[in-house]
Amino acid sequence: MNCCLCEQTLRFVPSWRGIFLYEPPEVVCQLCRNEFSKITGPCCKFCGKEGETICRDCHYWEQHGYPDLIRSGKSLYHYNDAMKDWFHQYKFLKDVLLAQVFAKDLREVLKNERGVVVPIPLNEEKLRERSFSQVDQLLLAANIPYRHLLEKCGETLGEKTRQERMATKQLFRLNGEAVPKQLVLVDDLYTTGTTMRQAAKTLQQAGAESIRILTLIRA
Amino acid sequence: MQAIEAFLRGRIWMKQFIPFPKELVQEAIDRGDVIVINGISADGECGRCQETSPDYVISYTCATCGKICRYCRTCIKMGRISSCTELVLWTAPAIQNAGPRAFGWNGSLTPQQETASKAIADSIQKGADHLLYAVCGAGKTEILFSPIHEALQKGLRICVAAPRTDVILELSPRFKQAFPDATVHTLYGDSPEQTGYGEIILATTHQLYRFQEAFDLLFVDEADAFPYSLDPSLERAVKKAAKPSAPVIYISATPSKTLQKQIAGHSTIFRRYHGAPLPVPVYRAMWNYERHLRKGKLPSPLKDWIEDKLRKKQPFLLFFPSIQLIELASPLLHKVDCAIAPVHSKDPQRKEKVMHLREGALAGLATSTILERGITIPHLQVAVIGADHRVFDRAALIQIAGRVGRSAIDPSGDIVFFHNGITRQMDAARQEILFYNQEGKV
Repeated sequence: MNCCLCEQTLRFVPSWRGIFLYEPPEVVCQLCRNEFSKITGPCCKFCGKEGETICRDCHYWEQHGYPDLIRSGKSLYHYNDAMKDWFHQYKFLKDVLLAQVFAKDLREVLKNERGVVVPIPLNEEKLRERSFSQVDQLLLAANIPYRHLLEKCGETLGEKTRQERMATKQLFRLNGEAVPKQLVLVDDLYTTGTTMRQAAKTLQQAGAESIRILTLIRA
Repeated sequence: MQAIEAFLRGRIWMKQFIPFPKELVQEAIDRGDVIVINGISADGECGRCQETSPDYVISYTCATCGKICRYCRTCIKMGRISSCTELVLWTAPAIQNAGPRAFGWNGSLTPQQETASKAIADSIQKGADHLLYAVCGAGKTEILFSPIHEALQKGLRICVAAPRTDVILELSPRFKQAFPDATVHTLYGDSPEQTGYGEIILATTHQLYRFQEAFDLLFVDEADAFPYSLDPSLERAVKKAAKPSAPVIYISATPSKTLQKQIAGHSTIFRRYHGAPLPVPVYRAMWNYERHLRKGKLPSPLKDWIEDKLRKKQPFLLFFPSIQLIELASPLLHKVDCAIAPVHSKDPQRKEKVMHLREGALAGLATSTILERGITIPHLQVAVIGADHRVFDRAALIQIAGRVGRSAIDPSGDIVFFHNGITRQMDAARQEILFYNQEGKV
């Protein structure tokens, strides 16, 4: 097996953990792994952006029509060059296997989760075009059970400018499933927070009491 | 020939990305000119690159067709192919378009080049594979011109493939000049779209994935690593792109023993076009060079060598085994002279730096193995730091030594292997160069 990012031969490193506990095989080499940069240290309590306790974007949301939606939030990685490459190959070249790269990280964060894990959906058309949902696939790879509660309305944010994105009115509707009290919204990339705030609003209106968010990457 | 045929003939293309209106494609399918096949066959082979390994052909639940699909990771950079992707192949027989073609090359060949050129033309005539085994700086491209011109007259479709984009880009203007009224296409990673039916296709080896039984004649340049032990899919690509009866001409300065045995027809040129022998590598011990560099000291043999070149105002290349070592050494080199710059494969200014070295704005470059091929600078001097490292195998060392003394004005120069112990690969490289010089004596 080679590293799925750089094609170097993967060297098997034996460990005590590996002997006594089952560990899924590593899919990337240590050098590629080191290129990703984890978010550590103080960060925004809503979105996980490194820096102030409430970042500028979240401050804006709290002031402008979306207050008290999100209890807390976390993001795992910075959007650096290595992450951009990974994201491109995963989402746009549709390299499904790359979901494995962060399986361990997601499992680590979500394994003791008691709320319902709710992935952000794609719209039907996009899904058929892409052939897989990138968020679902990340959770599947991490072996985390999840439940879809939302459906995406027409628009996608991908091609919009920052102002257009933040002014978008309604992105999601409920898919008809019962909405639990406690849940965690999961998405791949957090850019302005429009997606998360909209999803949270829809779910709160449907009766969710505690909404937390988790994203793999904070741009 | 219709535009759509000109585009599709010989190619294997994803149906959804054919740059023609859907109706036109459908018409061709209905006429039976084109067949449509599944992207991944039932037994898990990629229709484009013929990958079969389950490490690269991955199954997943596909939301497009709702079934378990497989997709190929080997050629994913060219647009992902999965089981429910449709690939299109033009299968209607071709009309030969033989006719006289202009020949825009009027240089002259040395007697040795002439012999090799004739031998290649003979092989093509017989439809047999051929190996052109010629040292660095023998003038290989010129040897090909006349056989290619002959093949063009007969209406053959010709491909010249090389592993690296740099080589293809360098060949392109020379071919366009030599064959002014032929359609020459240049294909690499993000090459611009080119219209019409390419009679001569210059392509990186990877681009051959996109062709199937297309060529009547195929040249594989820099075939050193052939059969590609590291990437067998490239070897498959060459086989697939050529018509079953098409002769393949391999060109290399350091062919593997396997390749030499595999191919019956050989031409060898062990003398450079200017007639001078190849500079022979000199060994110089530089014990524990890595530790010295880590401690922030430039080993004195290397320092002396560099200072000597600076005094003589000769441009030089320092080959390092890894990017980390370049980064360690570059501040130390900078202290010796600020006109020594580092360069490596990820450096966006790679081309500019080489240009500066050629023009004299830089005195020397500290480089990884990327510059081992295709660079010609008059009066160049070369040192390999850590020639005992495993990245420097026989072929790489011969290529590196081949950078020295390429121009006729100054056919000599230094090639020094600084080492921490002599390896077999170093000896093999040196022996081979001595052998070339012996054989090349007239």
